[in-house]
Amino acid sequence: MENNKLIKKAQNELKEAYDFDHRDPLFGLTTEEISGERLSRRTTLRLLAAGGALTLANILPGLRPSAAMAGGHGGGELKCAWSGVGEIVTLDPAKINQVLQFQITSNVLSGLMHIDNSLVAQGDLAESWTVSSDGLSYTIKLREGVTFHNGDNFNADDVLFTYNRSKDPEQSIHSRVIANVNELQKLNDYEVKFTLKKPQASFLTKALERASGRAMTIVSRGALESMGEAQYGLTPVGTGPYKVIEHKQGGSVVLERFAEYYDSGRPKLDKITITPVDGAEPLAAALEAGDVQYVGGNPIPSQLIDRFKSNPDLRVDIKPGPGFQSIWLNPWRDYMRVENFDKPLEELKKEKGFQVRLAIAKALDRDLFIKQAKFGNGYPAHGSINPAMGFYFDETLADTSEQAYDPEGARELLAQAGYPGGKGFPEIKLQTTPNTKRDGLVVANILKQVLGINVVVDPKDFTVGIEEFDTMDYDLRLGGSGGDYDPDDGLVDWMQTTSKFNGRKRDKSKYPFGFYSEAESDAAADAQSLVADPKERRELVRKANRITSDKVTCGFLYHPVDVLVHHKSIQVPDEARIPGLHELDRISLT
Amino acid sequence: MIAVSTLVFFMLRLVPGDPIAAMLADAGSDEARAALTKKFGFDQPVIIQYFKWIWNLLQGDLGTSLYGSNQKVTSILAEALPRTLSLAFLSFFIAIAIAFPAGIISAVKKNTTADHTVSIFAFLGLSMPDFWLAILLIIVFAANLQWLPAIGYAPLSSGFWEWLRHLILPSIAIGTGFSAIIARMLRSSLLGELKSDYMRTAAAKGLSDTSMVVVHALPNAMLPVITVLGIAIALLFSGAVVVENVFSIKGLGRVLIQGILNRDYPVVQGTVLLISAFFVFANLIVDLLYAVIDPRVRYD
Repeated sequence: MENNKLIKKAQNELKEAYDFDHRDPLFGLTTEEISGERLSRRTTLRLLAAGGALTLANILPGLRPSAAMAGGHGGGELKCAWSGVGEIVTLDPAKINQVLQFQITSNVLSGLMHIDNSLVAQGDLAESWTVSSDGLSYTIKLREGVTFHNGDNFNADDVLFTYNRSKDPEQSIHSRVIANVNELQKLNDYEVKFTLKKPQASFLTKALERASGRAMTIVSRGALESMGEAQYGLTPVGTGPYKVIEHKQGGSVVLERFAEYYDSGRPKLDKITITPVDGAEPLAAALEAGDVQYVGGNPIPSQLIDRFKSNPDLRVDIKPGPGFQSIWLNPWRDYMRVENFDKPLEELKKEKGFQVRLAIAKALDRDLFIKQAKFGNGYPAHGSINPAMGFYFDETLADTSEQAYDPEGARELLAQAGYPGGKGFPEIKLQTTPNTKRDGLVVANILKQVLGINVVVDPKDFTVGIEEFDTMDYDLRLGGSGGDYDPDDGLVDWMQTTSKFNGRKRDKSKYPFGFYSEAESDAAADAQSLVADPKERRELVRKANRITSDKVTCGFLYHPVDVLVHHKSIQVPDEARIPGLHELDRISLT
Repeated sequence: MIAVSTLVFFMLRLVPGDPIAAMLADAGSDEARAALTKKFGFDQPVIIQYFKWIWNLLQGDLGTSLYGSNQKVTSILAEALPRTLSLAFLSFFIAIAIAFPAGIISAVKKNTTADHTVSIFAFLGLSMPDFWLAILLIIVFAANLQWLPAIGYAPLSSGFWEWLRHLILPSIAIGTGFSAIIARMLRSSLLGELKSDYMRTAAAKGLSDTSMVVVHALPNAMLPVITVLGIAIALLFSGAVVVENVFSIKGLGRVLIQGILNRDYPVVQGTVLLISAFFVFANLIVDLLYAVIDPRVRYD
């Protein structure tokens, strides 16, 4: 009953969030609603919806009552393991290219805005702001009396410095995040004005956000100049609740409470040590031995989840995760050659190359894969739109997609293609990374059992594998996307002819397109990216998702889960549980 | 060293994989890609890159890491070296502490239970992969008994006991394999010496067994063992990559592997140069020790 109420409330909030005229530069909000010192939940939901970043995964947690904070107390030390990584290479926001890095910097550095778990967008270093009626100008009043960890005062010069640094592609790899900014002016020591080229719903909720934005994560110009970029990348100086007191290359990152943080109620802990731990068994041992009490970083190895669940001293929280993983099929290999995906599906099904492609996709027993490779932790995928996207996710696709598991249908298709029982089918390679070799072995076994084809797993490290993927030098490849909270992340980045991962370095004289190209799904993906009306957008998203599924852009495999593990002595309130992030300043000890 | 540096430089560039792709993962735009390619000089001919690197090397500059915060290679190696030296020293000590008594007992008590026991343990030590032993040690001593930490490294400055606590398990994992090799070599060499005429003379003169073995036979048996010890030290200095990974200790081995995986050319070049310098130095020490142990060996 309680869940039904929550879901109903979530549905109403979603409906309200999408209820606006898409031509309105303020997305159905007034300047009063979009300006101020904080954005209400309603306003934040609207901006996220207008920016295409609203998901059920965001909405639901904020509807539940927060876990009792009274159990936790201030002070103490927390030891964390950051899973699946050998070292924290950099904490410089301009250079960060891994989620596990900004999981740390979001506790050390501040942005102008911050969205909490309840989807209230609050000013971080922005005290208040006003937005012009044409949606192009954002005048931001900065918080006064804020100091950096080194004692320097924060002011508008630091915002300008950060902006100028971030927009230079030689200094920052995130320059495109602020590509829509035409100009940043300093109005006075505590006021700045951004002028945009065109209205952007995600400007406050993404570009200026302290964690995911990165481009406008405020850096200390004084510290950068005195320490140098190299040292700053190890021990960044910011205005966040924790300061870095120690970090040597390859070692642990040690954070200490910043007593002068502008919010006197945070952080709760005195000290946090974050140690990179690469390898499942060392991670498990460290947690079980009590060397660490909390795990962040990359996803926890699936084989450990049940072990942690059965440990009475540990707490395990699992939510649907964003992203998808697939088997990518090279359409330029003779035995699965498809030169024109624009043909109607029924016509494509008569072509031998497409028959092989579809046979492989139909042969993927996703439930078995999740059981054997992921130890039951995952959701079967039939498209790039994942369950965490909520409103856009199509539950019917699993049953109605051409890719739905159908071993008999798969065998029939392969026979029609001229390879009955897999006879005569060449031995092909399935490229994986060393970490996903096991997953590849499970897939290879499934294809052998169902189709009788021999698939050899070929693990290659990322830099080699991505080169081969980009140049179309592979048979099959296991890979996909993570951090997809918006349909754009899946459809635009992966499913279109011009997608950045679609054979970008291929020889165009030999390969007119990369792994896929289809005009109708391209058009639907383009249109959904621009339309603001939510229902219309959902139809377009589902259309693009359906076509890419039926026409086998790739053999979709599974959607991952988001798992948090910590010792029972650690109090992790719901508000600290933002997907993909770790709000360490809200965590306390029981 | 010049040959090593040249070989490493060009071989790295033959290995498939793009360092810019490793840097950016999927985060960067084409603009960022182009800017970084120019920044790090990859748009220049390889031979020009080589001569620039050699020129910097001659001035003591090993370059800057391409990855992350672009640390100086010298500072990366300076961070990793104490960890590797600590691990190498302790592993070597454990190897010697096990190997010498075992090898001597095995030789003196040839074909007895003691000899066979030592041989069995030696073969076990040789055949057991060090990473497997490392995980076993973690499960027993860290996870179950909780006597020792499972991961990490504590520098000497944090206290001798803290330093030792963090290094015991990885050192045992690494040292066990080496102790097996050294014990077998010592046994074999000592057996040869124990059969010598001078040993019969020593016995006839009434010397004790201990004196005969330790004072007379052992020094003569050490020459081939010194060679093995030299190789062991050099290998230990190059870093036990897998064990370092298991215990999350960033020593030279791990620096090298991460550098290779990330196509971080300056880091790999610098690390290989340092490791090859260790090998040269270790060989020099071994050669000098020959002359000390055996006065008949003289270098002109």
